[in-house]
Amino acid sequence: MEGERLPKLFRLSPMKTIPPPCPEPEVGPKYWRSLDQLAETPEFNEWVEREFPAGASEFTDPVSRRNFVKIMSASFLLMGVAGLTGCRRPEEHILPFTRLPEGYVHGVAQFYATARPSRGSAIPLLVKSNDGRPSKIEGNPQFSGGRGGTDGYTQASILNLYDPDRAMRCARNGNQVSREEAFQELQSVVAQFSVNGGQGLSFLLEPSSSPSRARLQAVIAAKFPQATWHSFDPVDLDVHAQIASNAAGQPVMPVFHFDKARRILSLDCDFLGTEQDSFVAIKGFSRGRKIENAGNELNRLYSVEALFTITGGAADHRLPVLPSQVAGVAARVAMEILKGQSPGLQKVADGYKGEEKWITECAKDLLAAGKNVLVVAGQRQPEVVHLIAHTINQALGSVGETVTFIPAPAPLKGNLQDLAKTLSSGQTKAVVILGANPAYSAPANLDFAVQLKKASHVVRLGYYEDETFAVTTLHFPEAHFLETWGDGRTGDGTLVSIQPLIEPLFGGISDLEILARIAGMNSFRPYDVVRDTLKGLVPEGDFEASWKKFIHDGVLENSAPKPVAVQISAEKLNNAVAQFAPPQSAGGDQYEIVFHRDYSVDDGRYNNNGWLQETPDPITKIVWENAFLVSPKTAQALSLSLAAGRDPEDYKNNDIGVVKGHDVVELEIGGRKITGPVWIQPGLADQTIALALGYGRTRTGRVGAGAGYNAYLLRTSESPHFAVGAKVTKTGKIVRVVSTQEHGAMEGRPIIREANLEQYRKKTDFARNMDIDAHAPNAGPIYKHPYDSNPELKSKVHQWGMAVDLSSCVGCNACVIACQAENNVPIVGKDQVNRGREMHWLRIDRYFAGDVNRPQIAHQPMMCQHCENAPCESVCPVNATVHDEEGLNIMAYNRCVGTRYCSNNCAWKVRRFNFFDYNKRPNAYAKMDGSLMPGPLYKGPLAKREPLEYDLIKMAKNPDVTVRMRGVMEKCTFCIQRIEGAKISQKVKAGASGDVQVPEGTFTTACAQVCPAEAIVFGNILDENSQVQQLKKRDRNYEVLGFLDTKPRTTYLARIRNPNHAMPDFTESPLTMEEYIKGHNPSPFEAHGSGAHGTSAQPARAPSKGGH
Amino acid sequence: MSDIFPRWTNRLPLKVAIGLILIGGAVTAGITYYCTPKYTRVGYQPIQPVNFSHEIHAGQLGVDCRYCHDGVEKSWYSNIPSSTTCMNCHNQVLKDDPRLALVRESAQSGKPIPWVQVHKVPDYVYFNHSVHVNRGVSCVECHGQVNHMDEVRHEKPLSMSFCLDCHRNPENHLRNPQDVYNLDLQISPETQEKNGKKFVHEWKVNASQNCSACHR
Repeated sequence: MEGERLPKLFRLSPMKTIPPPCPEPEVGPKYWRSLDQLAETPEFNEWVEREFPAGASEFTDPVSRRNFVKIMSASFLLMGVAGLTGCRRPEEHILPFTRLPEGYVHGVAQFYATARPSRGSAIPLLVKSNDGRPSKIEGNPQFSGGRGGTDGYTQASILNLYDPDRAMRCARNGNQVSREEAFQELQSVVAQFSVNGGQGLSFLLEPSSSPSRARLQAVIAAKFPQATWHSFDPVDLDVHAQIASNAAGQPVMPVFHFDKARRILSLDCDFLGTEQDSFVAIKGFSRGRKIENAGNELNRLYSVEALFTITGGAADHRLPVLPSQVAGVAARVAMEILKGQSPGLQKVADGYKGEEKWITECAKDLLAAGKNVLVVAGQRQPEVVHLIAHTINQALGSVGETVTFIPAPAPLKGNLQDLAKTLSSGQTKAVVILGANPAYSAPANLDFAVQLKKASHVVRLGYYEDETFAVTTLHFPEAHFLETWGDGRTGDGTLVSIQPLIEPLFGGISDLEILARIAGMNSFRPYDVVRDTLKGLVPEGDFEASWKKFIHDGVLENSAPKPVAVQISAEKLNNAVAQFAPPQSAGGDQYEIVFHRDYSVDDGRYNNNGWLQETPDPITKIVWENAFLVSPKTAQALSLSLAAGRDPEDYKNNDIGVVKGHDVVELEIGGRKITGPVWIQPGLADQTIALALGYGRTRTGRVGAGAGYNAYLLRTSESPHFAVGAKVTKTGKIVRVVSTQEHGAMEGRPIIREANLEQYRKKTDFARNMDIDAHAPNAGPIYKHPYDSNPELKSKVHQWGMAVDLSSCVGCNACVIACQAENNVPIVGKDQVNRGREMHWLRIDRYFAGDVNRPQIAHQPMMCQHCENAPCESVCPVNATVHDEEGLNIMAYNRCVGTRYCSNNCAWKVRRFNFFDYNKRPNAYAKMDGSLMPGPLYKGPLAKREPLEYDLIKMAKNPDVTVRMRGVMEKCTFCIQRIEGAKISQKVKAGASGDVQVPEGTFTTACAQVCPAEAIVFGNILDENSQVQQLKKRDRNYEVLGFLDTKPRTTYLARIRNPNHAMPDFTESPLTMEEYIKGHNPSPFEAHGSGAHGTSAQPARAPSKGGH
Repeated sequence: MSDIFPRWTNRLPLKVAIGLILIGGAVTAGITYYCTPKYTRVGYQPIQPVNFSHEIHAGQLGVDCRYCHDGVEKSWYSNIPSSTTCMNCHNQVLKDDPRLALVRESAQSGKPIPWVQVHKVPDYVYFNHSVHVNRGVSCVECHGQVNHMDEVRHEKPLSMSFCLDCHRNPENHLRNPQDVYNLDLQISPETQEKNGKKFVHEWKVNASQNCSACHR
């Protein structure tokens, strides 16, 4: 062995001296080094005091080594000899459990099934827990509706758990009180109302699907019959259930089955993005978009909307209309389909004058498709639009096919306006608020914070000490869903369990506990409440076994209620029509504002979540704030600069790309004003201003402070979703709105390749017939690839590859956040994103094509392509990035010196450099006035985060992945930790056998696992039957920038659109393809020239076929 | 013209160069010897809070490694046993011995015993025990004859070159997985060579030398 050779050379013993332990000062726990020391015997003290204890200099005494070291260490310690320890690491300690918890193996992650309650629904999850610390959320594969996918909010919700700004204490009038005191006060408040049956007691709740909560509500309602119940949600996703219940005469909830729909008409319904259960909708919709060969049929999506949403982006035909005119469009479509059965609709239809042909042809298409049609109305639209949608579905026979109605619990009767009324009249004396933040998000005309002050008691369970905290008399900290027990029902009614993965970090309390205390239940532990609820829901028998199975699986089998037959009478529709007031036409200087749920911060609840703030909006790619979106024509009408403040003179001075800022305008409606920057959004409806909710908060944490502009200041209860009659005035100021992608066009380069279905059918391998590599003969590389010159370097067991289906991807951002959660990717703050230093390993590129007023968009997830001939590997001066034997491009962080040459050479620019040790340094904080503090970030290596914040950030990290420091390059690794984990598990299982290949489906990368559209597929391309290899063999498969001949392992499947010939906005090719052909490229659908080079039709490229 | 520079400066550059080479060589040799893991780590034998002797327990009494380090087959981490594991025997054996006072106190009070960590690889290295012990790498290859140590000693350097020595030639260090915990097993070089090659072939052993194997 090596260790023996060396000493012989130098004639030294292997261990020269026995080094003493590091002479640290003896602070902290005192570890006695020997029993003598413990006993403090006089003999020992004598030993210790002498500088060279007798006998130490001659090692004659055959006393044990222990004694010698004991003596020497004590003396060395006293002499304070530092540095003789050599280059030894400091002494570290291992503190094992004193009693090992059952089934616990340190280092092995545990997975628990739980669910995230999401308004009127719940998302079933499987959460990974390391050492009792949840670190990653996945979808529960047992839930058939979602196939294991989740959405972006769910992925980021784990960071909310580790939020240093969350409420951590019970408080009375803003001052901390102990828990016992707080609960006593709660009881005394409630006791006041037990004498008069709850007269004057009001409850304000967020919508919830939890049967336990409903049960407790019923108990409380029985105990306090006079108490009033109010439901409040600024983004009212309950409206689908409410309107359906009204129309059907029984409490029902519609369930949309997008996978069964062949033709979908979305009436301002962003079902792929901001509606309820979007991950289920995405899965269903993308199932209808999977295309294997030319014979497949695709679904077709028509979208009528004011905003540009990802649903509009996925649509085959999109009609931008003012939000108030969507009703008119809906009525026209209905009249075409119902053909005179509903003459009353004419009044509504008159509200829209515009593209008649679009509507007529769309209606014809829907009629032809019969029962496979699905018409959905968005949550912002008035009742009449929803009823029109239901009526059309009914008339075409799709009820029972694409839309079913399931029995749902009756919604709460009261709403926020009622409560505001009773508060101002003094009728309500005490309010109990669970969740919600009405002081921030209530409609501005209600002045809700002022009204709340009129009540003598405001008891609130809140996650943050936010705007509502200021008017609360008794505040309880809410528990995160990962910290508490609960239950819920998914969108289709399946019962799911919520179980805690960690004890409440800061004493959080569940809403079930508050309600149980008010109800005076025997036990107010949420655990008992949920068990009691389950007792009522499972059949008789072994309850403990049912309970265990319920919390183990996370879902209760066969608990989804059967659909009920529902008939929407024409009378209901006529009533709604009668009540509908046609919109005053916006025009001239009157604009319509649309208030919409933000893709990042929801309605404001995720305002302090750094991951979500930094995730770019799917369409605008704006981070860290919202802006007033206007269409290009509107911007021109307002003389706002189309180039977003870019001074034309800058180009002359070679000062390209210096975007000075965006014009700040004042938006005024109904006497209320806010100011904010304008962002020009191609494709938005003219005369419309889109404003995302959830920003501009006044009391939020360090992440959300100063981010964005408060849309709630303009929102009224009469028109909470879109308001007519807004005025815009330029202020002349400029503010920089930061986005991650400013260049929005591909300019004819075939980065995203799309075709229409007919074109695809004519030439299925069109995607391979584009770009330079299809037209220039490839003579092959000059040098043999190392895989070919040294075949032993290439593993014959695994070769990893990935395929991304652009036909399925809708751009929802779930993969971006999943990657950030899995790989410890830090956030950098607005100022750094401004400099292009965002750290996302996976980004979604979004390109516009076509006319700036009616563009099409396309999304492309872009991550490290893991090229076999990687341009980044050959230029690293320290060989920190190398290629491994399984095809991955590996990053060895400890070797990287930060040259950044690799990023320079990467043609896809997927490498991210850590400029400022973003994990340790605080972000540049925003001040309340919106300006940025330069922040401790720029104070250099001495700046530190606050200890609590730092500890919590550390808890959120994935222990299997290195946390990178300043000066190191990082990029997508194909989740190497998961790959190695799977290989190790397989080898452990194989033991003394050769069964080392990881079977298909054992694991996948974080992005692939979370994608609700199943667009990203990862696997072993050596396995011919693996899904990824099947996809790579398809003729839609192409490489981005393939002409560079780097042989990327990540390939893309071209997108196929399915437009309708008869529609007026039909184009022969998708607009990106038109741009490509216009750009002097030969059309990929025709044979090129004299056949000198036919198609490049290379079959799915087997990894490096050889030198030539 | 008189000399501008004194005579001895003629030889100075040569002397400086030789001096630098010698000093550089000495420094390099010194660092190579003194500051590499073979010197700094091998022989590290810290004093533990409890005088636990592997020689007595694993050697004389023959307790299997996995009785205490039970996580080694399932996880990357080979765990130090909990205090209750010690008490499994020591609530009867040497039940009142003062040397075990800390163990008893720990098992009762819930305060863990602060063992001093002996073997540690840097944070950027991800080593997994389970894949090694299940695939025929014995404890003795990296930890030495622990069953004959009165106090645990860092026997091998555990540097990257040490790991690569085996990863480049796994056939020199593999044995039947059943014998992994038999630290006294003497395998003759001929048997090792024969068996090693057989194992590598049969088990498709691919001791990865890529960075991704350990540096994630």
